[in-house]
Amino acid sequence: MKIAPLINQTTKVLPLTLAVAFGLSMGGCASTPVPHERMAVAEAAVARANSTGTSENAASELLVATTKLERARQAVIDKDNALAAQLAEQVALDAQVAELHAQSERSRKAAVESKDAARALSEEINRKPVQ
Amino acid sequence: MNIRLMSLLTLTAALVACASVPERNLALDQARGNFNQAEHDPQVLGLAPAELKMAKESLMQAQQAWISGSPRPTVDHLAYIASQRVVIARETASSSAYQRISSGAAAKREQVRLAARTEEANKAQQQLALSQQSNASKDEQVSDLEAQLKDLNARRTDRGMVVTLGDILFDSGKSQLLPGAQGNMAKLADVFKRNPQRTASIEGYTDNVGSVSSNMDLSSRRANAVMAALVSQGVAAMRLSAKSFGENNPVASNDTPAGRQMNRRVEIVFGPESVRILAQ
Repeated sequence: MKIAPLINQTTKVLPLTLAVAFGLSMGGCASTPVPHERMAVAEAAVARANSTGTSENAASELLVATTKLERARQAVIDKDNALAAQLAEQVALDAQVAELHAQSERSRKAAVESKDAARALSEEINRKPVQ
Repeated sequence: MNIRLMSLLTLTAALVACASVPERNLALDQARGNFNQAEHDPQVLGLAPAELKMAKESLMQAQQAWISGSPRPTVDHLAYIASQRVVIARETASSSAYQRISSGAAAKREQVRLAARTEEANKAQQQLALSQQSNASKDEQVSDLEAQLKDLNARRTDRGMVVTLGDILFDSGKSQLLPGAQGNMAKLADVFKRNPQRTASIEGYTDNVGSVSSNMDLSSRRANAVMAALVSQGVAAMRLSAKSFGENNPVASNDTPAGRQMNRRVEIVFGPESVRILAQ
């Protein structure tokens, strides 16, 4: 937690190379805070995708999101916060993809039905016997 | 601060990536390919421009990270984000494309219904023309008014037999009968000739588009135009009366184009035999 202000100070005072060397030596440390906000966004996105009947039309897409959310939660437990943040960001998009894919599927089915109805009407009218 | 940050970034990049040229990143190549494809897809370009723009921004971010030598997992992550944004653009576009198909099909159904109705009317007209040519000898046998009016799609109502002339016989907003109406007029005049005791009321109706007074006026002019056409075909004017009803007594809903078309009409109501319909 003291690293960020320290870098700021040193960059002001010391040559850049020193700062970089220092930054690198500390790089990879668990200096990233727990991504609470991103996790919350990811959780909400998955919950939303789950509740809109997505499972019916985009089962595999939804599975990607839920599995990855599980990994993100595990990363938080493992204190791998950088990984958790990345996974959470991906989960939000994965959930959106699932939702949109389901919507697109529903629209596709509706379009097919609508076309079928138009065709059926045409056929029925053409078949109508001349009185 | 910006310059300092940038030089810091560059330096970090140089140190992290041992080579000066970053190694190829498959995920980034793929994201780039996905984006290029979507960008050249007219459907995506036309129906999801905002989503496509977000995908482009994500792709540039991933590219920037790669150029500045960010660690592979970071580039992979950003490339994945870019790819998913491309998918989002694609799904958004296909959704609205399908929705357009649905509404197009609904319009088609409406069109088919209208076409069928028009064709029915045309067929009736053709049949009558045919029967007039070939069945001249049978004319005397057809004395029943209902049978004679059958070809004009007449309906039996409690007011008597009603023949409806659709608005295809008039130009929009005009009261002059189109040439296509002459066949119907000849048929009607023939019916009057064969039923010398019959009188008829000619009633004009419109849809609810426009003001009440202009609709009243239009329906009046149309009813009078039909009456004039019949008189010019030899029907005595005293047997006819023209009335205007404007947008009153609609036969269909005014909420759809098909319904409004059905409401724009002139009805010829044949009164009971030997009873005069009073001219107003």
